[in-house]
Amino acid sequence: MQILRPSCGGLAFGLIAGPAQAHAPIAGIEGFYTGVLHPFTSPAQALLIISLGLLASSFAIPKARWLLGAFLVASLLGLWLGFTPPDLDPLCFAIAFAACACAALCPKRLPLLAALWTTLGGLCIGRLSIPDAGPVPDQIITASGAIIGANLGLLYIFGLTHAIQDRLAAPWVAIAFRIAAAWLGAISLLMLALGSVQTGA
Amino acid sequence: MPHRHMPIILVLALVFTSAALPALAHGSDGYGGGFVSGFTHPILGWDHVAAMVAVGLWGAFLGAPSIWILPIVFPLVMAFGAAAGILGLPLPAVETGIALSAVILGGMIAFAVTPPIWICAVIVGAFAVFHGYAHGAELPASVNAFAYAAGFVIATGLLHLSGIGFGLLVKWPAGRAVIRGAGGLISLAGIAFLIGYA
Repeated sequence: MQILRPSCGGLAFGLIAGPAQAHAPIAGIEGFYTGVLHPFTSPAQALLIISLGLLASSFAIPKARWLLGAFLVASLLGLWLGFTPPDLDPLCFAIAFAACACAALCPKRLPLLAALWTTLGGLCIGRLSIPDAGPVPDQIITASGAIIGANLGLLYIFGLTHAIQDRLAAPWVAIAFRIAAAWLGAISLLMLALGSVQTGA
Repeated sequence: MPHRHMPIILVLALVFTSAALPALAHGSDGYGGGFVSGFTHPILGWDHVAAMVAVGLWGAFLGAPSIWILPIVFPLVMAFGAAAGILGLPLPAVETGIALSAVILGGMIAFAVTPPIWICAVIVGAFAVFHGYAHGAELPASVNAFAYAAGFVIATGLLHLSGIGFGLLVKWPAGRAVIRGAGGLISLAGIAFLIGYA
């Protein structure tokens, strides 16, 4: 009953709500929101961010901070340098596989290798955050959203994984994340192979 | 929430389920079709099912760290096999390798063989290549590749987990005997796959 009353009240408020007319007070803010979601709209970027999140969460927080920082710096650097290899998706899948393999097979070890994958991943995400041609202010807003979205996504995955491991302090929780990393790694490698076939064809 | 509301919720859920109309918006392509196609691929092949369950069962039989090392090694190595299948690289005797995986893994359980962990990982990894190759080579061209890959990796992992769940019976002496018996059955099924009876 304690939950039913507030729930019914919430439902009633929801049903009588009128149309909202307070949207988009800032010109071009839609581009920011589009940018925030951008890293999660393609399998390559989404897999890469989730993989790097699992890799970072396999380390203790003091070491993981460096990885998160490296990703932030590398993503900004990638955005600034704007290097343009022909197609970055295969590289994203390859880095995702490498990160997942590290997280699954040797968690809390090989911090330098983890830093390498995180930095390379950040560079790729930064490059992929460069918007299409258009007015410069719009490009800046969209790119800012994409960089913030990617870094927030990584931070949330890292934080969620750590929170679950802290709250459910059972040995099987860490093992479950390692198995999840192995599954994600397998999917990344498959996507890499499928991409190679499609590119060749 | 008080438990007295639970029957009402269950009745409402049943009413809604009974009143549901058939969904006509599904297609066999796109993400949904790709996932279903990938998810069912390992499950609809008895040889795959037997070997995947055997991996989990053997891991549980051996105890820690094999119980989690084997299900981690398998998908990672399987993906290399799948990549070879997708790329069309030649791999001889794939079906024989898959059938042998059931024979060997089932036999390991039946005879309670407990090799060092690295040997277990090598055995499981070697057979994973054959299973992955079969999945990769038979990837339907029309489905969504990402969904297919996710579906078949998750199905494979869930088959491992079902083997591990069954294998937890190892805590009891009678359960240990049941698991060894199951290993023997898997091995016999593998022999049937090998000589073409199944």
